[in-house]
Amino acid sequence: MTDSYAVDVEGVSKSFGAFKALNGVNLRVRQGEIYGLLGPNGAGKTTLIRLICGLLAAHAGTVTVLGQRMPNVAVLRHIGYMTQQAALYPALSVEENVSFFAAINGADEGVKDALELVELYDRRGSVVATLSGGLRQRCSLACALVHRPELLLLDEPTVGIDPQLRVQFWESFRRMAANGTTIIVSSHVMDEADRCQRLGLIQYGRLLAEGSPADIRAQGGSQNLEEAFLALAGRKAS
Amino acid sequence: MSGHRVRAITRRLLQGFRRDRRTLALLFVAPIVILGLLGYLMRGSTSSPSVGIANEDSGPLGVMVADALRHSSHITTTDISAADGDAGLKDGSLVAYIVLPSDFSRQAQNGNVAPEVHLEGSQPGVDAPVLQALQQAMIALASQVAGRNVTFQPQIKYLYGGKSYDTLDYFGAAFVGLVVFFLVFVITIVSFLNERSQGTLERLMASPLRRGEIVLGYMLGFTVIALVQAAEVLIFSLAVLKIQNQGSVFLIFGMEALMAIAAVNLGIFLSMFARSEFQAVQFIPLVVVPQILLSGIIFPVSTEPKALQYLSDVLPLTYAVNGMRDIMVKGADLTWSSLQLDAGVVAGFCVVLIAAGTATLRRRLG
Repeated sequence: MTDSYAVDVEGVSKSFGAFKALNGVNLRVRQGEIYGLLGPNGAGKTTLIRLICGLLAAHAGTVTVLGQRMPNVAVLRHIGYMTQQAALYPALSVEENVSFFAAINGADEGVKDALELVELYDRRGSVVATLSGGLRQRCSLACALVHRPELLLLDEPTVGIDPQLRVQFWESFRRMAANGTTIIVSSHVMDEADRCQRLGLIQYGRLLAEGSPADIRAQGGSQNLEEAFLALAGRKAS
Repeated sequence: MSGHRVRAITRRLLQGFRRDRRTLALLFVAPIVILGLLGYLMRGSTSSPSVGIANEDSGPLGVMVADALRHSSHITTTDISAADGDAGLKDGSLVAYIVLPSDFSRQAQNGNVAPEVHLEGSQPGVDAPVLQALQQAMIALASQVAGRNVTFQPQIKYLYGGKSYDTLDYFGAAFVGLVVFFLVFVITIVSFLNERSQGTLERLMASPLRRGEIVLGYMLGFTVIALVQAAEVLIFSLAVLKIQNQGSVFLIFGMEALMAIAAVNLGIFLSMFARSEFQAVQFIPLVVVPQILLSGIIFPVSTEPKALQYLSDVLPLTYAVNGMRDIMVKGADLTWSSLQLDAGVVAGFCVVLIAAGTATLRRRLG
């Protein structure tokens, strides 16, 4: 591992009105790492992801992505962002959606590969409005990675996806990471957490614990990752 | 049928409204705005069509008729010479002028008067008060000419339009533009709202797309649709409805393109203030109806109460409607300063709305 960080978040705070969504968060993710953001609903996972891709500006602290201070439009070309809800154009076909996101990222040639990766090539002519939730999620992932981004931000990518496909998703994530893609994935599914190289537990806008799944087990004092998390969350909150 | 279940639906609806204050406000504000405007327009009208009077009568009766016209409540008069009349109609300072010929008194003694009435002719609704005022002046005249029946045969001449024009010809010119403007406005506001609510706008914001590119792309896309629609509307109007057109079809098209661009950007801008399609629909009467009332389509701007004229002067549709009438009724081309002004103002509105639409996107970025 080198010391170059793909993502470097330093002392970041962000409030919405009186609500403090993030409070002094520090986070460093190395290139080619799969980093899992874990935490209950409303903990600040989505806010952190939106800060990293420059959709939000922090009130305090700095966000540096691929060596550039965010927000920065030039860096966005190298970021793929999969939103929590499958944000697609329902009136367009699968291929038309993926082609659109390819075009706005200047990567028209990647459409076929992206469709094959999520196993939607045979369904490329289907109109998105007629697809099930899981298929939409796959299409959404294809839109996020069609331009082969260096940093992939996935906000709960496997919600509504059957276990078999989830395994396939994770295989492709690992393949991409091996090729140097940095992946930050938020989740609250614990068996997914186990597949990440490093985990960060977010609660009440703070990063409560960080480390490899084995570290988290040790810190939480339990062989069960879920119990370890609950123990860590309970200890810090009280 | 269960009363309990029916009540549950009714209650659910009212609960939703309680949270959606904006819809609630629009629901109650919009009708008052629209009705108030209509009432003020129809009752509060203080200005009346301005009519020039050229009294060339060498006898005594012309002075009397001119005086009766001056005191008419239907029109506002200025004294002019007959030679200046057409210039007044063209520059818009007059909507009509009346010439009492040099032998007017003798005509009256012979029992048959024929004053000339010159009408500008491009605006419906202003001709009637002019003719009414003249009619009343003639009744006053008849009582002065003892012992004779005086018949009254005004010689009506139109600068534009004319006898062959009916109401549809005047309204048609304005509506050809109006239809495109509002339909494009509605589809833009709804599709941009979809872009926000289905989350794709967030994705666009996280891509290297620049805001100006989004607005421009939208503008081109909907302008294409608008032009196809404009072509259909125009063909139907000219070929099926046989609305008269004196001007160039290309100019009409150009004007419609400008209106479509303004409508797209108005839609993008206003979608910012709507959180749901429900609210967006509420905007339609509030944006559309006052513009229809105030843009001079139905009531000529020159006859509106003064306060409303200022409002009309800042609405893009006023200039667009005026421009469409200039082209279709008057046969204006781009050498006409009035058309240059109209097209220029509509283009200016486009620029302002593009800036406003782009700025709107920026604000959501947080």
